[in-house]
Amino acid sequence: RSDRSAQTKPPSAMSSDSVSTSAELSPDDDVTMTSCWSHLLTAKEVMYICPFRGPLRGTVNVTNYRLFFRCMDQEPVFVLDLPLGVVSRVEKIGGASSRGDVSYGLVCKDMRNLRFAHKQSEDALKKSIFEVLMKYAFPVSNGLPIFAFEYGQVFPENGWKVYDAIAEYKRQGIPNESWRVTKANDHYELCDTYPSSLAVPVNIPDEDIRRVAAFRAKGRIPVLSWIHPESQATVTRCSQPMVGVNGKRSKEDEKYLQAIMDANAQSHKLFIFDARPSVNAAANKMKGGGYESEDAYQNAELVFLDIHNIHVMRESLRKLKEVVYPNIEEPHWLSNLESTHWLEHIKLIMAGALRIADKVESGKTSVVVHCSDGWDRTAQLTSLSMLMLDGFYRTTRGFQVLLEKEWLSFGHRFQLRIGHGDKNHTDADRSPVFVQFIDCVWQMTRQFPAAFEFNENFLVTMLDHLYSGLFGTFLCNSEQQRVKEELPKRSMSLWSFINSQLEDFSNPLYVNYSNHVLFPVVSLRHLELWVGYYVRWNPRMRPQEPVHQRYKELLARRAELQRRVEELQREVTNRSASSSSERAGSPTRSITPVQTFV
Amino acid sequence: EEHERYFNVEQVRLLDRFSSKSTSGTLYLTATHLIFVESSPSSPSSVLHHHIASVEKLSLTTTGCPLVIQCRNFRVVHFVLQRERDCHDIYSSLLRLLRPVAYEELYAFSYNPKQNDQQREEGWQLIDLGAEYERMGVPCDQWQLTDVNRDFKVCETYPRDLYVPITANKPIIVGSSKFRSKGRFPVLTYFYQEKKAAVCRCSQPLSGFSARCLEDESMLQAISKANHNSRFVYVMDTRPKLNALANRAAGKGYENEDNYSNIRFQFVGIENIHVMRASLQKLLEVIGNRSLSMSDYLMGIEGCGWLRHVKAVVDAAIFLTKAVTVEGASVLVHCSDGWDRTAQVCSLGALLMDPYYRTIKGFMVLIEKDWISFGHKFADRCDQLDGDPKEVSPVFTQFLECVWQLTEQFPQAFEFSEWFLLQIHEHVHSCQYGNFLGNNQRQREELQLREKTHSLWAFLMEEQQNYQNPFYSSVYGKTHPVLEPSTLPYHFKFWRNMYHQFDRSMHPRQSILKTIHTLKETSLKSAQTLRALENPGAAATLPDQRQPRPPAPQLPHPGEEATESTDTDRTVEGSSGTDSRKQSYGELEGSYEDGDEMTKEEPAVVSLEFGMARMTC
Repeated sequence: RSDRSAQTKPPSAMSSDSVSTSAELSPDDDVTMTSCWSHLLTAKEVMYICPFRGPLRGTVNVTNYRLFFRCMDQEPVFVLDLPLGVVSRVEKIGGASSRGDVSYGLVCKDMRNLRFAHKQSEDALKKSIFEVLMKYAFPVSNGLPIFAFEYGQVFPENGWKVYDAIAEYKRQGIPNESWRVTKANDHYELCDTYPSSLAVPVNIPDEDIRRVAAFRAKGRIPVLSWIHPESQATVTRCSQPMVGVNGKRSKEDEKYLQAIMDANAQSHKLFIFDARPSVNAAANKMKGGGYESEDAYQNAELVFLDIHNIHVMRESLRKLKEVVYPNIEEPHWLSNLESTHWLEHIKLIMAGALRIADKVESGKTSVVVHCSDGWDRTAQLTSLSMLMLDGFYRTTRGFQVLLEKEWLSFGHRFQLRIGHGDKNHTDADRSPVFVQFIDCVWQMTRQFPAAFEFNENFLVTMLDHLYSGLFGTFLCNSEQQRVKEELPKRSMSLWSFINSQLEDFSNPLYVNYSNHVLFPVVSLRHLELWVGYYVRWNPRMRPQEPVHQRYKELLARRAELQRRVEELQREVTNRSASSSSERAGSPTRSITPVQTFV
Repeated sequence: EEHERYFNVEQVRLLDRFSSKSTSGTLYLTATHLIFVESSPSSPSSVLHHHIASVEKLSLTTTGCPLVIQCRNFRVVHFVLQRERDCHDIYSSLLRLLRPVAYEELYAFSYNPKQNDQQREEGWQLIDLGAEYERMGVPCDQWQLTDVNRDFKVCETYPRDLYVPITANKPIIVGSSKFRSKGRFPVLTYFYQEKKAAVCRCSQPLSGFSARCLEDESMLQAISKANHNSRFVYVMDTRPKLNALANRAAGKGYENEDNYSNIRFQFVGIENIHVMRASLQKLLEVIGNRSLSMSDYLMGIEGCGWLRHVKAVVDAAIFLTKAVTVEGASVLVHCSDGWDRTAQVCSLGALLMDPYYRTIKGFMVLIEKDWISFGHKFADRCDQLDGDPKEVSPVFTQFLECVWQLTEQFPQAFEFSEWFLLQIHEHVHSCQYGNFLGNNQRQREELQLREKTHSLWAFLMEEQQNYQNPFYSSVYGKTHPVLEPSTLPYHFKFWRNMYHQFDRSMHPRQSILKTIHTLKETSLKSAQTLRALENPGAAATLPDQRQPRPPAPQLPHPGEEATESTDTDRTVEGSSGTDSRKQSYGELEGSYEDGDEMTKEEPAVVSLEFGMARMTC
C-alpha cells in the first residue's frame, strides 16, 4: 500500500512541505500499488510543529521511501512529503512533558529541521514511529537496502547510457598524437578511485605510470580532463605528490608533468594549481603529502588557490542553515550572512576556476589541478572551468556528462560526503562539496542567462535527489564500487527521470552559444545567496508566482514559432527556387533564401 | 556634432574605477557636454553637465593631473590630464557650467530632437490625467472635480484639477487648506473602484499641541462618508512618531484621534530626506571602495541602512494596499509637506493595487500624477539649479528602487524592464526634457515648458520595445490584480545596475534583453522577406514597412542569428577582444594578488545595453 502519486510519476522531493490541493489528495488515496513501495506505518493524531504555520494535526504515513504527513484541517490540505534519505538525524526532544506530549525532531540534509509530537498516551505508537524512522531512514546502518534498489519505475530513456568515457574522449579528439587512452586501470589496479579508462600522455609507458601512481596520494596520477580544441592546452587533474617532510622527488612524476607540458606546443610553461591554502599544503608534508617544488619541476609554476577543506565548508553551511532556518533575524540579515563566510568560499572557488580557464584559454597553457586527494576541491575546479571553456557542458546532457565524468567517475566520494542511509550524522567525512559546486553553477547561470540549456529547477531537482535515495546516480564512492554494486542494473539513473521530462528543466532563454567561452565576474557585487535553494522552505520566500509555468509557456511559444519559421523558410525556398527558375539567368544563387533580401 | 565647442585637450587618460585599466583620447568641452573621444576608434562617451554633481581636482601625480567627476546617475569619471593648466581650465569651466542659475539655461531649452511643433505638441498630449481619473471611475456619485485651485490660489504646489468628495464644498476645502502645511489639503489620488475606497493625500495639519479646524474635520468626515464600505478612514502619517511630535512644537503635527471622530491614525516610520541623503551617500562610499572584501561589502551595505529604508517605504505601501483592498477602507496619506514620502507611498501603493500602473504607459501616468502634478520638488531634490544642498535628496531614486525590488519579486507582473526605470532616472537628472523641470505645475506653466521643451514620455513611448520585459504576462494582472510582496530582508537586494551602471567591469556578462531583441529583429526580417516574396513583382525590392506587422513574437527561436555568429569562431565572453589580450592578461595576474575581483573588459554583447547608449548622446 502506498500513495498513488507514486504510480504516475516519481515523487518529487521538491514538493515537500508544500501545499497541495485537496482534489489531488483525497483522504482515501492510499491505494494499493506496485511492490516497490512498502507501507510501514500509519499514525493518526500526530502533530507537525511547523515553524511557519504553527502546530498542525494530521496523519503520518511512512513507507520505505518517505514520510508523508497530511493535515486535513487546513484549506488547502497541508502535505509534507519527506524522502527518508533526506533525514540526517532523528532525535527525541525532551522527555515526557507534564502535558504528556513527547516530541522528536528530524534534522535534514536539505536545510530544514522538522518537529513532530505525539500524545504520551499513544506510547506504543510513538515508539514505533521513532523506531521505524530510525530503521528506515538509515537503511545502510541497519543492513537494509537503499530504496533506489527497490524503486521499479520505468522511464522511456535509460540515463545510465548518457555517459560513455570513450565517446567523451572522442568528442574531445582523444586519442591524438599527444594523448592516448590507457588500459592500465582497466580493473582499477592502478588506482581504485579512478575510472577504468584514463587519458595520459602518449610517450609515457604504462610501467612509468605505475611509478607515478606510487608518488601520488591514493595513486591518483595526473590525467586529462579536457583539451582545448585549438591550442591543445589541457586541464589535467591529480592528487598531491607524496613529497613529505624530506622533500622526496620522483623522476617519473617530473618526466610525466614535462610530457603534459610538451603535449601542448603553444606554451613552454605548465601551471600547477594547488586548490589549498599554502599553509594547509605545507601542513600536509607532515603526513607525507605536500606540493610540487618549482626546483624539481622545471618550467612549472605553482599557484595556491586558498580554498578551504571539507570541514570548513561543512561548518560554513551549518552556520548558513542556522541563519536561514526557520526564520531570519531581519535587522542583522547581511551581517549574519557574512558570519557564515559561505559567499566568500563560493567566490574563492569561482575565482580559482576562472584562473584555470583563463590560463587555458587566454594563456594557451596547460594546467594541472590538485588538492590533497583530488576528489573534492579538484572536482569543483576542473568541472567549473570546463563549464566555462566548453559549451557542450552547458547543455542539459552535456552537464550530465560533466557530472558523470568529473565527479562520479573520478571518485568524488558521494557516499561518504552525503552519508547515504548512514545514521552516523557526525561523521567528519560529510561535507557539502557538491552542493557548493552546484551553487557556483547557479551563480554562473545568473550571469549568463542565455548560455545554459537547463534552468534552476534542474539544479534544485538534482540536489533533491542527491539525498532522496530514489536514484542510483549518486550512490557509492567510485566507479569501481558502482560496477561492483551493478548500479545500472539494480537502480534507476536520475538522468532517466530528467531526460524523460526535459520541458520541466529547460531554460527558454537558451541560445546555443556552443563556441563561447564564459568568463564570469567573481566580484562580490555579483555573487548572491541562492535563496531559491537555501531558503525555499520558508513559505514567505516561495516565489510569488510559479515562474516554471511561465517558462513552459515561453518554451511552447518558442517551439511554435520555430515551426512557423521553418514553414516560412520552406515556403521561401520553394518560391525563390521557382522565381529563380523563372529568371533562368541566376540558377547559381546559393545564399540562404531568408538572407537574400535583408 | 552640433555641440558648440569651447575647447579640447588631447592625450587625456580615462581611468576605470575598479581596475588598473585606462584608455587615452581627447577631451572636448562643449556648452552642454563633456565629451571623451578615445584614440582607438570607438564611440565617444560624454557627460552631460547637468549630470555632474561634483568636480574635484586631485593633487598632481607623476602621470599627470587627475580630475574626478561624480555624476547624479552614479557615474564616476576619473580623467588624468597631462598639463595642470588644462586641468584647471576644464575644472573652472565646469564649475561655471554645471550650476545654471536660471531654468532657461537648462539643456531642455536647447535640446532639439528634430521634431516639428505638431509632433512636440502630440508628445505632450500623450499623458492625460483627466482621462486617468476617468479610467479609475472618477468623477462619480461620491467624488467630484473641483475648480477651487483653478488659479493655484488655494494651493500653489497642487495641480489645477483636483478631486474631492461631493460633500466637500468650497468653504470646507478652503478652511481645510488653511489648516494644512503649504495649503496642501486632502485630495483624491487613487480610487479603488472595486470597493469604492479612496487613497487621498495631503500635508500635515497645523495642529500644534491643541489646535483644531472644523473644516478639516469635515473634510475627513466627507472622505469617510464617500465610502460606504468602511466606517472609518485610515490616516497614515508616513513619518516616524518622534519626527511628528517634534513638528508639534513648530505649530504643525498630526491628527488627534479625539477630534476626528472617524479616523484610525497610524505612523509608519519612513525617515526624512536628510537621513535618506546621508544613507545613500554611505552606500556609495561602500561600493566605491576598490578593494572590498566580502565582509566589508555585506557589513557596509547593512550599515548604511539604505535597504532598510527601501523596505520601510515598501512596508508602508503594503499597509496602504491592505487597508484599501482587503478592508475596503479609504486612506489619507501624509508626511510633513506631502510631496516626498507621501508621493512614494501613494504611488507605490497604487502600483501594488492596479495592474495598469505596471504597464509602460501606466507607469508614466503614475509618475505624472503622483510625482509631477502633485508637486514633488524635482528642481530642489535633484538640484537642477544652484540651490540649497539641504534640499537635495534621492527620494525619487528611492521610489524607482522600490519598484525595481518589486520587479525582482514579480518577474511577470511588470511590462517594463529595469532599463525603463534606469532611463527615467537618467532623464530626471539630465534636464534634457521638460517633464521634471521646476518644482510644481504652476512653475512649469510659467516656464512654458510645453511650448519650449519636449516630453520624455513621447520619447520613451517611441522606444518602448527596448524597455519591454520578456517575462511579462498580460494575463498576470488579471489573475493577480493586487501584488502582495514579501518584505523578508533578502528580498531587498543591492541594485547593481543602478549604482554600477557606468562601471563596465561590474556589468552582467550577458544581456537577456539584447539577445531577445536581436532574435525579434531576425524574426521580423524573415516575416518581411516572406511578404516581399508573396508580393509578385516586388521580390527584388525591400519589403514595405507600412504593411501591418505580424504580432511581434516575444521569443522567437534563436536559430539563425545566434548560430550564425557563434558557431563558427570560438568567442570569449567576459574577456577582452583579440588585440588587447596580452594587456588584460597581465592585469588579471595583478588583480588576483590582492584578492580583488577580476577586472576584465566587457564583452561586446553587454557594452551597449539599451538605454545606456542612448544616455550618453
